[in-house]
Amino acid sequence: MIEIRLHGRGGQGAVTASRIIATAAYEEGKYSQAIPMYGTERRGAPLTAFVRIDDVRVRERELVHSPDISVVLDPLIAKEQAVVDQLKPGGLVLLNTAYAPEEVKLGGDFKVATVDATTIALETLGRPITNTAILGAFAKITGLLKVESIEKAIKKIFPGRLGDMNIAAIKRSYDEVKGPIQALVKDAPEQKVDIHVGGYGVLKDVSSWRVFTPEIDEEKCIGCKTCWIFCPETAIQWDEEKNKPWIRYEACKGCGVCANECPVDAIEMVRVEV
Amino acid sequence: MSYEVMVGNKAAATAVKLAKVQVASAFPITPQTTITQYLSEMYAAGEWDFDFVNVEGELTSQVVVQAASRTGARTFTCTSGPGLLYMHHPMVRTGGFRLPVVMAIVHRNTKGMQPDHSDLMSQQWTGWGHQYVEHAQEILDSLLMAYKVAEDPRIRIPIAVGYDGYVLSYTAEPVEIPAQEAVDEWLPPNKAIPSILPDEVDPSTFARGWGGGDPQMPWKTHHEAVMKIEDVLKDTMDSFEKTFGRRYGNGMIEPYKMDDAECAIIAMGTIAGTCKAAVDKMQAEGKKVGLIKLRSFIPFPVKDFQEWSKKLDGFAVVDRSICPGKGGPVFGKLRASLYDLEERPVTLQFHAGLGGKEVRVHDFEMIGDKILKAAKGGKVEQVTWV
Repeated sequence: MIEIRLHGRGGQGAVTASRIIATAAYEEGKYSQAIPMYGTERRGAPLTAFVRIDDVRVRERELVHSPDISVVLDPLIAKEQAVVDQLKPGGLVLLNTAYAPEEVKLGGDFKVATVDATTIALETLGRPITNTAILGAFAKITGLLKVESIEKAIKKIFPGRLGDMNIAAIKRSYDEVKGPIQALVKDAPEQKVDIHVGGYGVLKDVSSWRVFTPEIDEEKCIGCKTCWIFCPETAIQWDEEKNKPWIRYEACKGCGVCANECPVDAIEMVRVEV
Repeated sequence: MSYEVMVGNKAAATAVKLAKVQVASAFPITPQTTITQYLSEMYAAGEWDFDFVNVEGELTSQVVVQAASRTGARTFTCTSGPGLLYMHHPMVRTGGFRLPVVMAIVHRNTKGMQPDHSDLMSQQWTGWGHQYVEHAQEILDSLLMAYKVAEDPRIRIPIAVGYDGYVLSYTAEPVEIPAQEAVDEWLPPNKAIPSILPDEVDPSTFARGWGGGDPQMPWKTHHEAVMKIEDVLKDTMDSFEKTFGRRYGNGMIEPYKMDDAECAIIAMGTIAGTCKAAVDKMQAEGKKVGLIKLRSFIPFPVKDFQEWSKKLDGFAVVDRSICPGKGGPVFGKLRASLYDLEERPVTLQFHAGLGGKEVRVHDFEMIGDKILKAAKGGKVEQVTWV
């Protein structure tokens, strides 16, 4: 039995990716099971999904605790040692990151491959939904599934033009994936960050959730308070003296509502450098 | 026949479509919500001719299917956890009127979001048949069988089919979808149209009025009808296998690797699947413990367990719900079933998976070891919180 763990954020499609892998495996005559881990998951929040692939019907229903393969759909989560936690010795991790496998700082006995799925997704789909953009790379480096089976599964889930766009993303990630190589850092660094944020954002640091960061142009701002009213996470604070907003960035998950609502386009969403 | 990798909730919606349900009504609640979404999509696409009634709450959804069922329509509703509690009052009426409504319960515990069996277990007095299933294929198959059983002229009784939320409702796995023609032939349109005359006029009616007579009579006939589910379910399982080639034990219980077993673990729902993986592992190590998956809690398979008691030294009962102050419902019912026997196997109570706590393969290995030890006369505490 092969067990896979997917790390992503709500909105990146980790759950859909798990179902595409399970469907593709079944296309190839194997039994499969795709399990999402459900809690207070929502757009931007880190989440986990699992896949089991076996030659016989999968019986167990516990979550995957010690995966053979870890797939990370988010470039910031990809920096956390937690993504290789409990990975089987000699396992494989596929990261969505612009870095080459040689530059990856995660440590332990496993192989690393990387692909810049966010850029591929932005350029082929126009949105940072990285689930399909990573699956081409997945097919190539794991050898578990044929890329044709994944395309077939995608066409079932996304019929029409959306399916074609996703297949274009897959083909690019198949070509652009780097590695796998044996991880260069031998000793696992101390795991400092728990990637799962329980509860809601107001009291938590959710700054790592952002793909885009809002930046306020005080010259353009007319002090109308529209952004302050609309921010769903109360991340926008008001400076009474200057009559201008400022952003409490640890509470901002980068949803872009403020930029969308600003009547004078004084807020710009800038892609986060990873 | 075709296949699809689908989540448990889609398997339920697919069964509703295959059964050509005429009236469906449901109010969305996590983790049941996506059933109503799939049904709404099927309605919008005009996949078959049915009415989907949007309502403002679960109580009304039950009243809608109750009223539709009284006219002879085949009906479906579904809910979870607190939604089921809100539905309680009209459920009692559906049972009392002996209407063949079929309902899917996507388990969510009554103290929080995650699954356990406390929602359906809290509805024991409503006079429905209560079944618990393990995987997505079994959801589809059991809902089809539920219509066949519910509409059987011998009983005409509503059936609730429960499956665990999240871990099954949202888990995708391969499901075989029977051909529509085969289902049409096996499950002809509902003919169980109940009399709606007052019982003073028509004694065969179950719509008991307020005109006097023996007030205990409706309870007695209702109880007898629910008890008869056992025979009807067993017949239905046989005919289901003949047509579709799959079966789940005798319908009441599904023994797994029990041929050489000396002890049995009794479990319901998804954790029974995890138990199967544990049984495979334990038997490979020479441990003689198997699984008896309990599918029908109401009526309870008293005769089956009495038969198994003759061959076994111990039962480990895993309850995924508890009545505080009273204990695990399956454990209590199993022990009551064995009381009349002269020789009774050892019984142990395990509380597991409550509030959605994960139950793992190694938990079942611990349970297996304990019951094997207890059956050999070893000292083991009777109640364990896993």
